[in-house]
Amino acid sequence: MRWSPLVRSESRTVLTSKGAWILALLVVLWGFRPTYAGWDAVGQNITIGYIQIGVDLLLPIGALLLSYQSLLGERTTGSIKFLLGLPLTRTQILFGKTVGRFVGVGTAIVAATLVLAGIGLLEHGPFSLVPFFGTLVATLLLASAMVAIGVFISTVTRRTVTAATGVFAYLFATLFWSQIVTSLYTAVTGIPVDPYDAPASGPLFLVLRLTPDGAYNVLTNWFLDVGNSTELFHIVYTKLAPGISVNAFVVEAAFDGSGPWYLHPGLSLVVLLLWVVVPVAFARRVFTRGDAL
Amino acid sequence: MNTSELAIEANAVTKEYGDVRAVDSLDLTVKRGETYGFLGPNGAGKSTTIGLLLDYLRPTSGTVRVLGHDPRRDVVKVHGRVGVLPDRFSLYDDRSARQHVAFVAETKGVDDDPAALLERVGLEDAVDDDAGDFSSGMEQRLALAMALVGDPELLILDEPFGGLDPHGVQRVREIVHEETQRDATVFFSSHVLGQVELVCDRVGILHEGQLVAEGTLDELQNQTASPDDGTIEDVFMELTDARVNHGGETR
Repeated sequence: MRWSPLVRSESRTVLTSKGAWILALLVVLWGFRPTYAGWDAVGQNITIGYIQIGVDLLLPIGALLLSYQSLLGERTTGSIKFLLGLPLTRTQILFGKTVGRFVGVGTAIVAATLVLAGIGLLEHGPFSLVPFFGTLVATLLLASAMVAIGVFISTVTRRTVTAATGVFAYLFATLFWSQIVTSLYTAVTGIPVDPYDAPASGPLFLVLRLTPDGAYNVLTNWFLDVGNSTELFHIVYTKLAPGISVNAFVVEAAFDGSGPWYLHPGLSLVVLLLWVVVPVAFARRVFTRGDAL
Repeated sequence: MNTSELAIEANAVTKEYGDVRAVDSLDLTVKRGETYGFLGPNGAGKSTTIGLLLDYLRPTSGTVRVLGHDPRRDVVKVHGRVGVLPDRFSLYDDRSARQHVAFVAETKGVDDDPAALLERVGLEDAVDDDAGDFSSGMEQRLALAMALVGDPELLILDEPFGGLDPHGVQRVREIVHEETQRDATVFFSSHVLGQVELVCDRVGILHEGQLVAEGTLDELQNQTASPDDGTIEDVFMELTDARVNHGGETR
C-alpha cells in the first residue's frame, strides 16, 4: 500500500511522544484498584475490571489529545504541503493518519493492559481468558473510535484553539452524559428521572449507551457477566446486590428481565463501530472537498 | 500544440476567496523539457497557482492539466511524476534528513539512496541530523532533495532560492541545469530576478492574479521602454509597476 509509510510515520509520531507512555502509565495507576466490591463481583477476573476502570476514564482523553492535532498541526506548520505533494489521494492521507495514530495509541494501551494483566496475575492469580481477550478487543475498538473522533476534529477545524475547544466539549459532554440525557428526557416526557430508581424506559437507556465510553462499559460488563449497564463493573454489581441503593442505570434493575431487544449488550459493538466509521466518513467528506490548505 | 507536449496547461483558471480574486482567468502553458520562471511580486498569486496545479487548492473555475492529467482526478499519477518544493513549509523537527527523504522515496515506491540525494544538495554532513536543528538554508536544501526523489518528470519549485546563501543558490542553479539535461521540466516561482535570468528558457510575469507578460527574456525586453539594454528587473518593475499604477486595468 502506498500509504503504509504514512501509517508508520504517524504511529512513530505517537510512540515517540511522551504522551503515549504517560497515558499507558496513568491507565495502569488509575486502573489498579482492588476493592471488596470488585472482588465480590468477579473474583479473580477483577484483573479485567482494572483494565475497564483505567481505560474508561483515561483512554478517551489520551487518544483525543494524541490525535486532534494530526492534520491540523500539519496545516498550521505547513508540513502538510509535503504530505499533499506525495502520490496519495486525500482519502489515503486521511486513512494513513487515522490508522497510524490508532496503531500508536493502540500499542501504548495494549502495553498498559498487559502490565495490568501481569500485576493482576501476580496479585490474584489466573483470570478467564475469554473475557480478557473480549475486553482487549473492546479496548482497541474504543481506541480506534477515539482516534477517529480526534482526526475528525483535526480535519474540520482550522485553528488549534477551535480544535482544543472541540476536544473539551466532547469530554465535557461525555463526562456529564447521564445528567444531560436525563435532563432532556425529563424536559421532553415530563417524567422525572431518579437514578436510584430509574424508569423502565428503553429509549432513555438506549441513549445513555450511545457514547463510545458508555458502549465500552456495556460491552466489558457483558464479558465480565455483571449486568447490563454503562457504569463500571463493581458499581453494576453493587446496584444489583439486594438491599443496596446506588444511583446507577442498570437494565436488570429497571426492567423485568433483560429489557427491550435493542438494549442487548452485544449491540454496543455496533455503537463502537459506528463511532469509528461515521467520524472517518465525515472527515473524508470534508477533507476531499475544496481546498486542503 | 499537442497536449502530450505540455507539462502544464491551465485554461481560464480563476481562484476566489470570498471577494478576493487571487488568480484571475489564468491561461498558462509550459512545454515538456522547458525551464519556466514564474515571476511576480509578493501576493501576486504565484503560490496559489502552484497550489492549483498540485490540487492543494481547487479552482473556482477553469481547468488544469499537469503532464496530461487532471491533478484532482489523477492525483496519484500526477504526484508520482512530479517533485515539489513548496513555499512556507515546515519539516518534521524530530526526523533526520535521511528519514525525510526516505519517507518520500517509500511513498513514491522508488529505491533512491537518501544519502546520495542529500549529498547532491550539499547536506552530506547532516544526513542523520534532526531537521529541527537545521538553518533555513539547510531546510531549503532538504526540501529540494525531497523534491528530487524518483527523478520526477516535472519539478515544481516555489521560491527555491529562499533562505539560501550564495553557495546554495549556485547549487540550486546547477541542479536545475542537471534536471533539464535529463529532459525534466522545471517550473519555478521566484522574485529573485537575477537567478531567473540565468536559468530560465521562458518567463511569465504574474500580477494581481493575471499573467501580464510571457515569453523569452528577449521577447519581454522588447516590451519595455528600453529594449536594447533592459534587464529582467527592468521588465518586471515596468510591468508590475504599470499595473499597480493602473490597477483598474487588471480587474
